[in-house]
Amino acid sequence: MSEAEQPTILEVQELVVRYGSQTAVDGLSFSIRRGEIFGLLGPNGAGKTTTLSVIEGLRKPDGGHATVDGEETVRAPLAVKAKLGVQLQASSFQSELTIEQIARLYAGLYGLSLPQRQLRERLADVGLEQELSKPFKKLSGGQQQRFSLMVASIHNPPILLLDEPTAGLDPQSRRQLWDRIERSRQGGGSILLTTHSMEEAQSVCDRVAIIDHGRLQALGAPRDLVAMHRDDPRVRAVARGDVTLEDVFIGLTGSAIRD
Amino acid sequence: MTETTVPAAPQIGLTLRSLLRADATVLMRSRQAFVLNLAVPILILIVTNRGGRLGNPGFLIGMALTYGLLSSALIGYSITVARDREAGVFQRLRVTPTPTWAIMASRLAVQLAANLIVSVIVMIVGSIMHNTSFSFGVYLLMFAVSLLGAVVFLSIGQAIVGLVKNATAVNAVGRVLFILLILTGILGSTGILGDDFKSFASWTPVGALINLFSAVLNASAWGTDQTEGIIASIGYIVVFAWIGIRWFRWEPQ
Ligand SMILES: Nc1ncnc2c1ncn2[C@@H]1O[C@H](COP(=O)(O)OP(=O)(O)OP(=O)(O)O)[C@@H](O)[C@H]1O
Ligand SMILES: [Mg+2]
Repeated sequence: MSEAEQPTILEVQELVVRYGSQTAVDGLSFSIRRGEIFGLLGPNGAGKTTTLSVIEGLRKPDGGHATVDGEETVRAPLAVKAKLGVQLQASSFQSELTIEQIARLYAGLYGLSLPQRQLRERLADVGLEQELSKPFKKLSGGQQQRFSLMVASIHNPPILLLDEPTAGLDPQSRRQLWDRIERSRQGGGSILLTTHSMEEAQSVCDRVAIIDHGRLQALGAPRDLVAMHRDDPRVRAVARGDVTLEDVFIGLTGSAIRD
Repeated sequence: MTETTVPAAPQIGLTLRSLLRADATVLMRSRQAFVLNLAVPILILIVTNRGGRLGNPGFLIGMALTYGLLSSALIGYSITVARDREAGVFQRLRVTPTPTWAIMASRLAVQLAANLIVSVIVMIVGSIMHNTSFSFGVYLLMFAVSLLGAVVFLSIGQAIVGLVKNATAVNAVGRVLFILLILTGILGSTGILGDDFKSFASWTPVGALINLFSAVLNASAWGTDQTEGIIASIGYIVVFAWIGIRWFRWEPQ
């Protein structure tokens, strides 16, 4: 089965989200196929986290809807959440619990009663076998990130939502994470991730959506986006030498600083 | 890598067990707070037992019980909820297939259990310190009144985290309210501020509870004070729980 024939796992249609009078997401639509790694790109405040929060069931949209594997987020929130693996941009775990206790809690919340041996195996898989009795806050940034990803995928969800999973990681940890992402795709899972790294988007994402002010600016494979916008004057104006995905990004979203 | 399976929504029993175990662990880890919640009531019992009685044992034990319940239920509960909300702990829990009521119910259940343990210890220490022994029936009644008091104070705690978002502000409001409730309740029910104030105090959450405790412990006849106390407590539970649930927000800001 070729990529294009894969069924849709996630669909966002005409999504609108407002905070008071401010429209954070403004008629956004895109869909993700099974096995696809999809990047949501956009400057600070573009509406990436807000879009994810609707899919995660944390916010009700003011317009449009999102469906995960055919289930609508507002109508069947628990069924949707059971299919999602989530790593939030800003979240934490109870600071009094050790990571082993946290892992057991989240396994239980996803309906798994894993024996201790299996739980420890999962933690060893992400190189945390020495840290079992540490609280989350005492882990290094890279360890925290690996742990969050392990918790997010503890139930083998068909789709993972990762909000800036590589922010603050050193190059080694970043590469390691890309490998993990690649492996999870080979297992048939889809991933929706946000990132500010064009290098990351280019090396791990099958397709990316560039959004700004909550609206879609461009959608496609990174290579195709570069080809498509190579001659756009806004892109030409910011390119230094060969046009890159970053040039396309800045060209389409402007060079002013946000937030 | 294993084949990706589409997981079904988990059983509520497993969900609740997992939450309860985690919340109980958190509470046990904060042993310091638990010891402090116990230390003050026991201190009250010791001090009032020295050099001539400061009142009848029933009243004093009731006061110690009330203090213990108030500090662990009102302050302990509201501060941990506000702090976890601010840190994003609730947001992370809410993206799992867990009904939100279960998240709260588990926390409340664990708090309630901790409160009752504090109460039982205070009762036992109290009866030893004051050389009184109570019948099993009185212990049961004390337990029931403790339960009522814990629910009143937990609902006040819930109202605080419903109306106030910032964790530092919740801490401050909790402490101010704590002092106000203790002062009106205890000073009022001793009667040193006059009869008008005494009858006003018997309607406050702490005053009502002290009245109920001393009636139970003195095996005195059921009077209007006690009926009023029960009515007031139930009223507080309904009003504050409603406020606390109606205005509660899960989001950090
Ligand atoms: N809880 C909130 N209340 C009010 N406004 C909000 C809230 N959350 C986000 N916003 C606003 O909505 C817009 C989109 O924010 P969002 O967090 O979705 O952006 P983002 O693309 O994830 O940005 P970043 O790359 O910085 O994480 C911003 O203008 C932000 O200020
Ligand atoms: Mg964001």
